Amino acid sequence: MSLVARHLEAHGISTVIMGCAKDIVEYCGVPRFLFSDFPLGNSGGRPFDVASQRETLELALRVLESAPAARTTVQSPLRWTDDASWKLDYNNLSKLSPEQIAERRREFEVVKAVAKDKREATA
Amino acid sequence: MSPAAVETRIAFAAEHDTPIPYMQRTRDYYQALGFAPYRWAHFADVPFAPLRTPLARARVALITTAAPFQPGAGDQGPGAAYNAGAKFYKTFSVPTDAEPDLRISHVGYDRRHTSAEDINTYFPLARLKEAAAARRIGALGPRVHGAPTNRSHRATVETDAADLLARCQEDGVDAVVLAPT
Repeated sequence: MSLVARHLEAHGISTVIMGCAKDIVEYCGVPRFLFSDFPLGNSGGRPFDVASQRETLELALRVLESAPAARTTVQSPLRWTDDASWKLDYNNLSKLSPEQIAERRREFEVVKAVAKDKREATA
Repeated sequence: MSPAAVETRIAFAAEHDTPIPYMQRTRDYYQALGFAPYRWAHFADVPFAPLRTPLARARVALITTAAPFQPGAGDQGPGAAYNAGAKFYKTFSVPTDAEPDLRISHVGYDRRHTSAEDINTYFPLARLKEAAAARRIGALGPRVHGAPTNRSHRATVETDAADLLARCQEDGVDAVVLAPT
Protein backbone atom coordinates (compact mmCIF):
# COMPACT_ATOMS: atom_id res chain seq x y z
CA MET A 1 0.00 0.00 0.00
CA SER A 2 2.89 2.35 0.77
CA LEU A 3 4.25 1.77 -2.74
CA VAL A 4 0.85 2.64 -4.22
CA ALA A 5 0.65 5.86 -2.19
CA ARG A 6 4.09 6.88 -3.38
CA HIS A 7 3.20 6.20 -7.02
CA LEU A 8 -0.04 8.19 -6.86
CA GLU A 9 1.71 11.07 -5.14
CA ALA A 10 4.50 11.13 -7.72
CA HIS A 11 1.77 11.68 -10.30
CA GLY A 12 0.09 14.56 -8.49
CA ILE A 13 -2.58 12.80 -6.42
CA SER A 14 -2.49 13.54 -2.67
CA THR A 15 -2.69 10.51 -0.40
CA VAL A 16 -3.06 9.53 3.21
CA ILE A 17 -2.51 6.03 4.58
CA MET A 18 -4.58 4.87 7.54
CA GLY A 19 -2.54 2.10 9.13
CA CYS A 20 -1.48 0.15 12.21
CA ALA A 21 2.08 -0.95 11.29
CA LYS A 22 4.11 2.15 12.10
CA ASP A 23 7.59 0.83 11.50
CA ILE A 24 6.85 -0.79 8.14
CA VAL A 25 5.09 2.24 6.66
CA GLU A 26 7.68 4.72 7.90
CA TYR A 27 10.57 2.49 6.77
CA CYS A 28 9.14 2.60 3.25
CA GLY A 29 8.60 6.33 3.40
CA VAL A 30 5.17 7.75 2.56
CA PRO A 31 3.77 11.26 2.15
CA ARG A 32 1.10 11.21 4.91
CA PHE A 33 0.27 8.58 7.50
CA LEU A 34 -2.36 8.38 10.22
CA PHE A 35 -1.09 5.74 12.63
CA SER A 36 -3.55 4.00 14.94
CA ASP A 37 -1.79 2.00 17.67
CA PHE A 38 -4.32 -0.81 17.31
CA PRO A 39 -3.97 -4.51 16.40
CA LEU A 40 -3.53 -5.10 12.66
CA GLY A 41 -6.93 -5.03 10.99
CA ASN A 42 -8.33 -1.95 12.74
CA SER A 43 -6.90 0.96 10.77
CA GLY A 44 -10.44 2.38 10.47
CA GLY A 45 -11.14 2.43 14.20
CA ARG A 46 -12.63 0.15 16.82
CA PRO A 47 -15.26 -2.50 15.93
CA PHE A 48 -18.88 -1.40 16.39
CA ASP A 49 -17.70 1.98 17.68
CA VAL A 50 -18.85 4.54 15.13
CA ALA A 51 -17.51 7.45 17.19
CA SER A 52 -13.99 6.00 17.13
CA GLN A 53 -14.28 5.31 13.39
CA ARG A 54 -15.42 8.89 12.73
CA GLU A 55 -12.61 10.29 14.83
CA THR A 56 -10.08 8.12 13.03
CA LEU A 57 -11.26 9.20 9.57
CA GLU A 58 -11.42 12.85 10.61
CA LEU A 59 -7.80 12.69 11.78
CA ALA A 60 -6.80 11.11 8.47
CA LEU A 61 -8.58 13.87 6.54
CA ARG A 62 -6.84 16.53 8.62
CA VAL A 63 -3.49 14.93 7.86
CA LEU A 64 -4.44 14.85 4.19
CA GLU A 65 -5.22 18.55 4.02
CA SER A 66 -2.62 19.95 6.40
CA ALA A 67 0.61 17.89 6.28
CA PRO A 68 3.44 20.38 5.67
CA ALA A 69 5.83 17.91 4.04
CA ALA A 70 6.41 14.27 3.16
CA ARG A 71 6.83 11.67 5.93
CA THR A 72 4.19 13.33 8.08
CA THR A 73 2.95 10.81 10.65
CA VAL A 74 0.22 11.60 13.13
CA GLN A 75 -0.56 9.09 15.86
CA SER A 76 -4.19 8.80 16.86
CA PRO A 77 -4.71 9.48 20.57
CA LEU A 78 -7.15 6.56 20.77
CA ARG A 79 -6.05 3.57 22.87
CA TRP A 80 -7.02 -0.01 22.08
CA THR A 81 -7.06 -0.92 25.77
CA ASP A 82 -5.64 0.67 28.89
CA ASP A 83 -3.51 -2.44 29.30
CA ALA A 84 -0.95 -2.65 26.48
CA SER A 85 -0.15 -6.34 26.93
CA TRP A 86 -1.86 -7.19 23.61
CA LYS A 87 1.25 -5.76 21.94
CA LEU A 88 3.32 -8.68 23.26
CA ASP A 89 1.34 -11.33 21.40
CA TYR A 90 1.67 -10.86 17.63
CA ASN A 91 4.19 -13.36 16.15
CA ASN A 92 6.17 -13.22 19.36
CA LEU A 93 8.61 -16.15 19.43
CA SER A 94 9.17 -15.87 23.15
CA LYS A 95 5.54 -16.92 23.65
CA LEU A 96 5.74 -20.00 21.42
CA SER A 97 6.96 -23.50 22.30
CA PRO A 98 9.19 -25.46 19.86
CA GLU A 99 6.15 -27.61 19.05
CA GLN A 100 4.04 -24.55 18.25
CA ILE A 101 6.82 -23.17 16.05
CA ALA A 102 7.01 -26.47 14.15
CA GLU A 103 3.22 -26.39 13.68
CA ARG A 104 3.36 -22.81 12.39
CA ARG A 105 6.06 -23.86 9.94
CA ARG A 106 3.86 -26.62 8.56
CA GLU A 107 0.89 -24.25 8.30
CA PHE A 108 2.95 -21.63 6.50
CA GLU A 109 4.21 -24.16 3.95
CA VAL A 110 0.59 -24.99 3.12
CA VAL A 111 -0.38 -21.32 2.84
CA LYS A 112 2.57 -20.61 0.55
CA ALA A 113 1.67 -23.50 -1.75
CA VAL A 114 -1.98 -22.39 -1.99
CA ALA A 115 -0.97 -18.79 -2.71
CA LYS A 116 1.49 -19.91 -5.39
CA ASP A 117 -1.14 -22.02 -7.17
CA LYS A 118 -3.66 -19.19 -7.06
CA ARG A 119 -1.14 -16.62 -8.28
CA GLU A 120 -0.13 -18.79 -11.21
CA ALA A 121 -3.75 -19.49 -12.07
CA THR A 122 -4.44 -15.73 -12.17
CA ALA A 123 -1.39 -14.84 -14.28
CA MET B 1 17.14 13.30 42.92
CA SER B 2 18.46 10.24 41.11
CA PRO B 3 16.81 9.17 37.83
CA ALA B 4 15.42 6.09 39.56
CA ALA B 5 13.82 8.22 42.22
CA VAL B 6 12.22 10.40 39.56
CA GLU B 7 10.77 7.30 37.88
CA THR B 8 9.11 6.20 41.07
CA ARG B 9 7.33 9.53 41.32
CA ILE B 10 6.16 9.73 37.72
CA ALA B 11 3.85 7.07 36.32
CA PHE B 12 5.66 6.02 33.15
CA ALA B 13 3.91 3.77 30.65
CA ALA B 14 4.98 0.13 30.46
CA GLU B 15 8.19 -0.40 28.49
CA HIS B 16 6.40 -2.55 25.92
CA ASP B 17 3.72 0.12 25.40
CA THR B 18 5.17 1.34 22.13
CA PRO B 19 4.16 0.67 18.51
CA ILE B 20 4.81 -3.03 17.85
CA PRO B 21 8.19 -3.55 16.13
CA TYR B 22 6.66 -5.58 13.30
CA MET B 23 9.79 -5.75 11.19
CA GLN B 24 11.89 -7.23 13.99
CA ARG B 25 9.10 -9.56 15.10
CA THR B 26 8.54 -10.78 11.57
CA ARG B 27 12.25 -11.18 10.86
CA ASP B 28 12.77 -13.26 14.01
CA TYR B 29 9.58 -15.23 13.49
CA TYR B 30 10.25 -16.37 9.94
CA GLN B 31 13.90 -17.04 10.69
CA ALA B 32 12.80 -19.41 13.47
CA LEU B 33 10.36 -21.05 11.05
CA GLY B 34 13.24 -21.57 8.64
CA PHE B 35 12.35 -19.09 5.90
CA ALA B 36 14.48 -16.51 4.14
CA PRO B 37 14.33 -12.96 5.50
CA TYR B 38 11.88 -10.59 3.84
CA ARG B 39 13.19 -7.32 2.51
CA TRP B 40 10.81 -4.44 3.12
CA ALA B 41 10.51 -1.58 0.67
CA HIS B 42 12.69 1.33 1.72
CA PHE B 43 13.38 4.70 0.13
CA ALA B 44 15.36 7.78 1.03
CA ASP B 45 13.19 10.11 -1.04
CA VAL B 46 9.44 10.50 -0.63
CA PRO B 47 7.22 12.25 -3.19
CA PHE B 48 4.81 14.92 -1.99
CA ALA B 49 1.89 16.49 -3.85
CA PRO B 50 0.07 19.15 -1.82
CA LEU B 51 -3.70 18.89 -2.01
CA ARG B 52 -4.58 21.01 -5.03
CA THR B 53 -8.09 21.92 -3.98
CA PRO B 54 -9.75 22.45 -0.59
CA LEU B 55 -10.95 19.14 0.82
CA ALA B 56 -14.55 20.36 0.85
CA ARG B 57 -14.33 20.55 -2.95
CA ALA B 58 -12.04 17.58 -3.53
CA ARG B 59 -13.03 14.27 -5.05
CA VAL B 60 -11.64 11.48 -2.89
CA ALA B 61 -11.14 7.77 -3.63
CA LEU B 62 -10.72 4.87 -1.25
CA ILE B 63 -8.20 2.11 -1.95
CA THR B 64 -8.37 -1.08 0.10
CA THR B 65 -6.40 -4.31 0.47
CA ALA B 66 -9.54 -6.19 1.51
CA ALA B 67 -10.71 -8.94 -0.84
CA PRO B 68 -14.11 -9.49 -2.48
CA PHE B 69 -15.87 -12.45 -0.91
CA GLN B 70 -15.32 -15.48 -3.15
CA PRO B 71 -17.89 -18.26 -2.82
CA GLY B 72 -16.14 -21.62 -2.71
CA ALA B 73 -12.78 -20.19 -1.61
CA GLY B 74 -13.00 -21.47 1.95
CA ASP B 75 -13.72 -19.77 5.24
CA GLN B 76 -13.44 -16.01 4.86
CA GLY B 77 -15.58 -15.04 7.81
CA PRO B 78 -14.62 -13.33 11.04
CA GLY B 79 -12.09 -15.45 12.90
CA ALA B 80 -11.15 -17.51 9.82
CA ALA B 81 -7.62 -18.88 9.72
CA TYR B 82 -5.22 -17.32 7.25
CA ASN B 83 -6.80 -18.20 3.91
CA ALA B 84 -4.44 -17.92 0.96
CA GLY B 85 -7.21 -19.29 -1.26
CA ALA B 86 -9.08 -15.99 -0.82
CA LYS B 87 -6.22 -13.90 -2.18
CA PHE B 88 -6.52 -11.91 -5.38
CA TYR B 89 -3.76 -10.95 -7.76
CA LYS B 90 -5.33 -8.29 -9.94
CA THR B 91 -6.59 -4.85 -9.02
CA PHE B 92 -10.37 -4.51 -8.93
CA SER B 93 -12.92 -1.73 -8.68
CA VAL B 94 -16.46 -1.67 -7.29
CA PRO B 95 -19.03 1.14 -7.43
CA THR B 96 -18.92 3.49 -4.46
CA ASP B 97 -22.72 3.41 -4.36
CA ALA B 98 -22.67 -0.28 -3.49
CA GLU B 99 -21.90 -1.87 -0.17
CA PRO B 100 -19.30 -4.38 -1.27
CA ASP B 101 -18.72 -7.54 0.74
CA LEU B 102 -14.99 -7.35 1.37
CA ARG B 103 -13.08 -9.63 3.75
CA ILE B 104 -9.59 -9.87 5.20
CA SER B 105 -9.07 -13.61 5.72
CA HIS B 106 -6.32 -13.47 3.05
CA VAL B 107 -3.93 -11.26 5.04
CA GLY B 108 -1.93 -11.61 8.23
CA TYR B 109 -3.95 -9.41 10.55
CA ASP B 110 -3.90 -9.86 14.32
CA ARG B 111 -6.16 -12.89 14.69
CA ARG B 112 -5.93 -12.95 18.44
CA HIS B 113 -7.04 -9.39 19.14
CA THR B 114 -8.98 -8.47 15.99
CA SER B 115 -12.39 -10.00 15.38
CA ALA B 116 -12.86 -8.69 11.79
CA GLU B 117 -16.60 -8.72 12.48
CA ASP B 118 -17.13 -5.06 11.60
CA ILE B 119 -16.11 -4.16 8.03
CA ASN B 120 -15.75 -0.52 9.09
CA THR B 121 -12.62 -1.33 11.07
CA TYR B 122 -10.71 -2.09 7.88
CA PHE B 123 -12.84 -0.54 5.13
CA PRO B 124 -13.97 3.01 6.01
CA LEU B 125 -16.40 3.48 3.10
CA ALA B 126 -19.45 4.14 5.30
CA ARG B 127 -17.55 6.78 7.25
CA LEU B 128 -16.33 8.38 4.01
CA LYS B 129 -19.90 8.50 2.71
CA GLU B 130 -20.86 10.37 5.88
CA ALA B 131 -17.97 12.79 5.30
CA ALA B 132 -19.22 13.43 1.76
CA ALA B 133 -22.81 13.92 2.97
CA ALA B 134 -21.56 16.41 5.56
CA ARG B 135 -19.53 18.21 2.85
CA ARG B 136 -16.33 17.51 4.78
CA ILE B 137 -15.05 16.20 1.46
CA GLY B 138 -16.38 17.36 -1.88
CA ALA B 139 -17.38 13.94 -3.13
CA LEU B 140 -16.34 10.33 -3.28
CA GLY B 141 -15.02 9.01 -6.56
CA PRO B 142 -17.39 6.72 -8.45
CA ARG B 143 -15.38 3.61 -7.62
CA VAL B 144 -13.52 2.01 -4.74
CA HIS B 145 -10.34 0.26 -5.83
CA GLY B 146 -8.73 -2.91 -4.51
CA ALA B 147 -4.98 -3.46 -4.30
CA PRO B 148 -3.52 -6.99 -4.21
CA THR B 149 -1.16 -7.94 -1.38
CA ASN B 150 1.64 -10.48 -1.11
CA ARG B 151 3.09 -9.44 -4.42
CA SER B 152 6.69 -8.78 -5.36
CA HIS B 153 7.70 -5.14 -4.99
CA ARG B 154 8.22 -5.07 -8.73
CA ALA B 155 4.73 -6.35 -9.52
CA THR B 156 3.24 -3.90 -7.04
CA VAL B 157 4.97 -0.89 -8.56
CA GLU B 158 5.03 -1.76 -12.24
CA THR B 159 1.62 -3.41 -12.53
CA ASP B 160 -0.67 -2.70 -9.58
CA ALA B 161 0.34 0.87 -8.71
CA ALA B 162 0.32 1.87 -12.36
CA ASP B 163 -3.11 0.31 -12.82
CA LEU B 164 -4.51 2.00 -9.70
CA LEU B 165 -3.12 5.36 -10.85
CA ALA B 166 -4.87 4.93 -14.20
CA ARG B 167 -8.15 4.09 -12.47
CA CYS B 168 -7.87 7.12 -10.16
CA GLN B 169 -7.09 9.37 -13.12
CA GLU B 170 -10.09 8.00 -15.04
CA ASP B 171 -12.24 8.82 -12.00
CA GLY B 172 -10.79 12.33 -11.77
CA VAL B 173 -9.92 12.12 -8.08
CA ASP B 174 -7.83 14.73 -6.31
CA ALA B 175 -6.92 12.63 -3.29
CA VAL B 176 -6.88 9.04 -2.10
CA VAL B 177 -7.38 7.45 1.31
CA LEU B 178 -5.53 4.13 1.50
CA ALA B 179 -6.64 1.64 4.13
CA PRO B 180 -4.34 -1.38 4.41
CA THR B 181 -5.15 -4.30 6.66
